[in-house]
This record gives sequence, C-alpha cells and structure tokens, in this order.
Amino acid sequence: METGQLFDIPLLRRRRDRAAMRDDRAEFLFEEAADRLCDRLLDVSRQFPSALEIGCRKGALARALPPKAGVAHLIGCDVSAGMARTARARTDQPTVATDIDLLPFKEGAFDLVLSNLALHWVEDLPGALIQVNRALKPDGLFLAAVLGGDTLAELRAVMVEAESRVRGGAAIRVAPTLALQDAGALMQRAGFALPVVDFDRVTITYDTLFHLAADLRAMGETAALIDSPRGIPPRVLFQEAARIYAERHAGPDGRITATVDIVYLHGWAPDASQPKPLRPGSAKHRLADALGSVEHAAGDRTAPPDPANRQGH
Amino acid sequence: MADPAGDIDPKLLEFLVCPVTHGPLDYDAERQELISRQAGLAYPIRDGIPIMLPDEAREIKAD
Repeated sequence: METGQLFDIPLLRRRRDRAAMRDDRAEFLFEEAADRLCDRLLDVSRQFPSALEIGCRKGALARALPPKAGVAHLIGCDVSAGMARTARARTDQPTVATDIDLLPFKEGAFDLVLSNLALHWVEDLPGALIQVNRALKPDGLFLAAVLGGDTLAELRAVMVEAESRVRGGAAIRVAPTLALQDAGALMQRAGFALPVVDFDRVTITYDTLFHLAADLRAMGETAALIDSPRGIPPRVLFQEAARIYAERHAGPDGRITATVDIVYLHGWAPDASQPKPLRPGSAKHRLADALGSVEHAAGDRTAPPDPANRQGH
Repeated sequence: MADPAGDIDPKLLEFLVCPVTHGPLDYDAERQELISRQAGLAYPIRDGIPIMLPDEAREIKAD
C-alpha cells in the first residue's frame, strides 16, 4: 500500500466489476444525471464527430444521448473492465478500460468529452482535467456531472459519529467531494476557456441506512478509501449508524433522506476564435461619451486620457 | 461499430496511445495486444476491449 494515496483503485475496480454484473436497480441516479447532461448538451448547437465518455459504467449516458445531440462516434472508458464490457454489449460503442488519471488517448483527438458521475474517484482531479483538456481538439467541449457538494453528507456524519461511539475514535470513511465554490477555479486551473459550473440537488429517501448501503454496493460506490476501519465488527458499527441516521434524518413517514449534489462542469478547450476579455486600457471609446455625460476624475492614479490626444477616432 | 465477435473496433485504434508514454501503439492482432515499444509494455485486448492499465500489461524486452 502506498502512503498518501486517497483511494484504493484496485479495490474500486473489483467493486465496480462486481456491480457491472448486477441488475440495474441502483442505476437510477446515473440514468437521471445522464438525462440532465443530455439536456445541457442539447443547449449547445454543434456537431461532435468524435466524443469520449469518461466513466461510462453500463452505458447509461450513451443510451440517453438523443440523435439531436450531434454525437457521431462515442468511445466509452471505465476503470472497470467489467463495466466497459457491459457498456459495449449494451450500446455497441467501443469501450476501453483505463485509469482516469492515465488516459490513453491522443492529444487533440476529441470534439467532446463527457463524464457522468465518475470523476469523484479521481485522486488528482486538477491533473485529470488537464489531461481531458489535452485530449480535446481546440474549441472542443468538456461537459461533466460530478458528485460533489454535500453528497452523502448525512451518511458521512453518521458514520463518523457511530464509529467514535463504538470505539472512541473515527477514521474518514466516505470519499471527500468537490465543493461547488472550488469547481470554477478548478476548471480555470485546468486551462478551460469560458468555464461554467452549476449544481442540482437530488434528495433520495430510503427505509433505513441498510437500504442506502445496499444501493451504494450495487452501484459499486461504497467507499474505496484506504483508511477503512479495522477491528470493528461491521454489524455493530452499522447498527449504531442506522439508529443515529434514523434519529437525525427521518421524515414524518419514517424514511431517511440522503442528499446528492451533482456539480456540472462545462468548459471549452482554448481556441483563438473564442471571445476573450480585452486588455485593460484598450477601450476605443469613452463611456462618458456613450452616456452623453461629463467624465470626472475619480482620484485614481491613472488620469483619464486627455480628449485632445485620444487615439482611434 | 463494435464487432460482436469480440474484435477491436478499428476506429478505436486511431485514438489510442500508451497511457504511460503517450507514444504510439502497435496492434498485434494474433496475440490481441497493443504494444508500446517506448514503455516496453503490451496491453491486453479482452473481448475487444483494450485494457490500458499498466498493472495488467505484459512487460516486453526491447528488440
């Protein structure tokens, strides 16, 4: 085990391989996010001859893409070969098994890169986004839905509390998530032009924490964190956690709620054709003229230009 | 598109490079491998799906 590594990727791969073989009972979240991504893609009136999907799972997004979206040739990839196989069988799209932070694609290969609820497992998200940017053609579009914000905040808090009650100390058990307020800066840091981020909150209700945990297992989304607790019988821990969860987060009908925040990332690979802000001081006309008003100095160090010496008229 | 017999999609080959070196890959149809000479790795293709994971690749000696 390497130190300083947040996720146990081989464990995640095994869990997703298993999840790929299971029924689709727990795929509803991915199907819902796929529909929402498609809506956003339809807002962009463009053709995308070649596209890549990062984290294709069982092909939910490929199946949801309407012909109007203009995606001609879509390649799917997933950390799990099992998921890649299932997606290929269901969608007829070519798929690849790959680590997200070691993408095996040519530079400038794609007109569009999509990702549907997969990037929360990336160790180095800024690095992965830089690779995505490189894989895009100039003026290519990156559009992703990422689990972030307060996703499973209830579960995180409850698990920490249950563990500290059971053994007087707690380890982090649920993966950290992308905060909406960091997402824009992250996109800029990765070199995307005209980045836009927004988010949707989805609330899911369950009978008990055990039902929620069963869904997470079926999704292959149980925490693959290296710091999972040792020496506690899981049954004791989960019974305590289920009790606390029901106490804190049950509605009038007794069902517990789980929050899922979907952060949408939207940005373009830089290209000379894109609109850019002008250099400060490069204005050709005075605001005062446009408003038919008189310009007064605001006391700043740069004096307003002398109208007699103005260039560009 | 994807061949039900399990062959790799020829169009897919145009997009792939070695994840380690970003260098070119040679397709060995007989062994069903994608070979990165620069990295000295052969990535397996299973059921038509390239497994581009360095951990799962076979190490090869330089010619």
